[in-house]
Amino acid sequence: MSNLAKQGEGQSQIPATTSVKVGMGLGKQKKTPSLKPNKNGFWKRLSKQKALILMSLPFVLWLIVFKYIPIGGWVMAFQDYKPQFGLLEQKWVGWEHFKDLFDEPMFYRALENTIGMGVLGLVFGTITAIGFALLLNELRFITFKKWTQTISYLPHFVSWVIVANIVITMLSQDGVINNLLMGLGIINNPIAFMSNPDLFWGIVTAADVWKETGWNAIIYLAAMAGVDPQLYEAAKVDGASRWRQMWHITLPSIRAVIIVLLILNIGNLINIGFEKQMLLGNNIVAEKALVIDLYALDYGIGMFRYSFGTAIGIFKSVVSIILILICNGFAKRIGEGRVF
Amino acid sequence: MKSTKLALSLFILFLLGAFLVGCSNESENTSTEGEGEGEEYSAENPLTLSFYSEDGAEKSFDDPVAQAITEKTGIKLDMQYPVGGNEETVPLMIASGDYPDLIFAKGDISKLIEAGGVIKLDDLIEEKGDNLKAMYGDQLDCLRNTIDDPSIYTVGTYGVEGAYWSTSGSFQIQLDVLRELGYPEIKTLEDFEAALTEYYEKYPEIDGQKTLPLSLLGSDWRWLITVGDPAAAVAGIPGDGQWAINDDTGEATYKFLLPELKEYFKWLNGMNDKGLLDSESFTHTYDTYISKLSSGRVLSIADQDWNIGDADKALVADGKEWRTYAPLPVTLGEEYVSQGLKDYGFAGGWGIAISSTSEHQEEAFEFLDWMASEEAQILTNWGIEGENYDIVDGERVMKEEDRERMNNDPDYSKETGVGYYVYPFPQWGNGAVDSNGQPITPNSEEDIINNFNTAEKEVLEEYQMENWIDWFPPTEELGVSNHGQAFNYSIQSGSELEIIQQKADDLTEQRITQAILGDPAEFDAAWESMIEELEAMNIEKANEEMTQKTKDVMELWGTN
Repeated sequence: MSNLAKQGEGQSQIPATTSVKVGMGLGKQKKTPSLKPNKNGFWKRLSKQKALILMSLPFVLWLIVFKYIPIGGWVMAFQDYKPQFGLLEQKWVGWEHFKDLFDEPMFYRALENTIGMGVLGLVFGTITAIGFALLLNELRFITFKKWTQTISYLPHFVSWVIVANIVITMLSQDGVINNLLMGLGIINNPIAFMSNPDLFWGIVTAADVWKETGWNAIIYLAAMAGVDPQLYEAAKVDGASRWRQMWHITLPSIRAVIIVLLILNIGNLINIGFEKQMLLGNNIVAEKALVIDLYALDYGIGMFRYSFGTAIGIFKSVVSIILILICNGFAKRIGEGRVF
Repeated sequence: MKSTKLALSLFILFLLGAFLVGCSNESENTSTEGEGEGEEYSAENPLTLSFYSEDGAEKSFDDPVAQAITEKTGIKLDMQYPVGGNEETVPLMIASGDYPDLIFAKGDISKLIEAGGVIKLDDLIEEKGDNLKAMYGDQLDCLRNTIDDPSIYTVGTYGVEGAYWSTSGSFQIQLDVLRELGYPEIKTLEDFEAALTEYYEKYPEIDGQKTLPLSLLGSDWRWLITVGDPAAAVAGIPGDGQWAINDDTGEATYKFLLPELKEYFKWLNGMNDKGLLDSESFTHTYDTYISKLSSGRVLSIADQDWNIGDADKALVADGKEWRTYAPLPVTLGEEYVSQGLKDYGFAGGWGIAISSTSEHQEEAFEFLDWMASEEAQILTNWGIEGENYDIVDGERVMKEEDRERMNNDPDYSKETGVGYYVYPFPQWGNGAVDSNGQPITPNSEEDIINNFNTAEKEVLEEYQMENWIDWFPPTEELGVSNHGQAFNYSIQSGSELEIIQQKADDLTEQRITQAILGDPAEFDAAWESMIEELEAMNIEKANEEMTQKTKDVMELWGTN
């Protein structure tokens, strides 16, 4: 996070630079031709950076143990996996589980719902978080600003089980929302929010926005804190209003952060989890609530079909990688901050 | 450049090696543990067995009955229960290979058998299962797994020598409705709807809240209980889960394909249209549903006694006896026979198994065998002599205080342990008697009749009946099922049958719910499209496989 914030800062100080490379995790240093590697040079540089290398070692280890080694489990997708046998004693079935998956109409429905809710969540989540951060950033009364920020990110720590219950209770036919609307004379009969499939995506997105806006705004706020005050002063001299300053200074200054976060979030588009959908859903809206993870749970692990579940997992990873590559390529073309 | 890569890959190899060595060392260490065989366990030095029950709830093994069990056997139970939905617990257990000593997995037992997670009990029963042998007698065959693997893996769950003195019927109606309408005869859906409508018009509000003529619970798995099951019950189809099975030929049909069921749901659709169905039937949670019932404003339900026990007790405790429910033998029409009192025989199937990784298999089996003894059955059913019951004239009589608490305190069983350890352990049914000729369970017909609340007794008198079952066609007329109940079948996990049924269940739950809540004019079209979708997912194939399963079961049990 601080890394990203710094990047924002860096860019604002040299606004002329159009492309700033944002290093994530272990950025491998690009060698300039003058430092042609020879044996001596390598060891020399190694010993020079030994403190840094030592510091990053635990994280490399962590990455290998928890992120790379488990990939070996992917072979399950090509087997008829039975947990009582070892990984190499299984029956191999090739692409059969993938064929089953792509033949299954339910899978496409799950895919549609996942991407639908993912995109909605991404669009509204990003817009509200940036908007909220902009407004907070303009507040000059520090105590109030701090309180607002704290209160706004508290819902992030509340479990979905509780949030779902609150949402369902509020939206029920004799719940607060219906009472309010009826009291104001906007509607005559209570609206059955939870039993209208067309509203389900919206309800999930709204609940998500309520829960995460404050939390997501933190990173943008940090980026905004690094914008050079001289720019604002110069704008003020030129007669720019507060709105103009937001539009012409704050937003362009944090553009790199926004794009990097967008790319990362798009990569996670398909990994929206299933808690929200499972907890808020019911039989009436089930068609709109079925997401890939829920499908993998019910028809994969839940039915003892580990191989099938793994095939779904692989499919998800492939989609994620493709999405990231596309976005990154796009960011590269418009000459903005990118992930790699 | 090359040397960087070389160094890096060497480094990774080293790490991998270190990691693998670390792992294998650890497993060697653990395998040397696990001593303590042949030890004697007593009340002072009890052995703790872990016990997972899919129907369990949070509870510790420290009530008076539990203490008595420990005293007699030297065994304590560490009771585990599913957290957050019960679908994934067993698969996760298998994936981790970490099993409790005793497992009650219900339908998931086939997964455990397939994974080798549980042991065969045949030899143990032969060697030292005297109590179990005495209990099951010639019904022992019903415990066998499948025709291809006729071993016994589980014992328990259902009462042997069951008797049918109570039923939940297809619907239950509030006693006050019966009283207010002058004790009418309610046999068909038409009578039922008329009674609800009349009462609803008279009393649109109860205690200041809106009256709900019929409420269902279709938001979770109980959809099957309160929406799916009554649909078959009113058509006179015995309870076989999602299947309608011809008990003579073994022919099985996915029940939602049948026209009778369509008729029932069409009626429900009409009820919804007329505003007689609680509009939150498919969205409210179980807690909300129970609190609605407890408030006394729900006139009728399509539920089972075991699901609404808490509401019933709360109503009695609040002095609202007239708001409790009576079971009704409602059917689609006079030509259908209510199967409320059907005898399914001893259905075997589900039960408690002993895990293959348990270090105390012998002790675990001895414990299960003891639970089947007369001594244990009396203890678990009646509680402790002098505390929960007295012996009057050589007969067990439950104490007045206990009887009262049993009827209106939802925590009675949990706090005292009386009745808590009957299900899912091996148990005698309501019809069984002990060596002195007395009923083993406190649920003899006499006790059931004694336990009715004052309002129930008054209504029964008005109808000139002793027990609600007098309304229903008697057990003898309905005959004994040859195949038990289809939901007890052991179905191979991940098999085509299981997948098709899961898909069909998911589909019907959604489509039928939508059809019920939809416009009556569109009901037929919605139903037709659901049938088409079912056919598209090859439901015919599932029907065939289920038919074969039924035939296999009948062959295994020798009832064909």
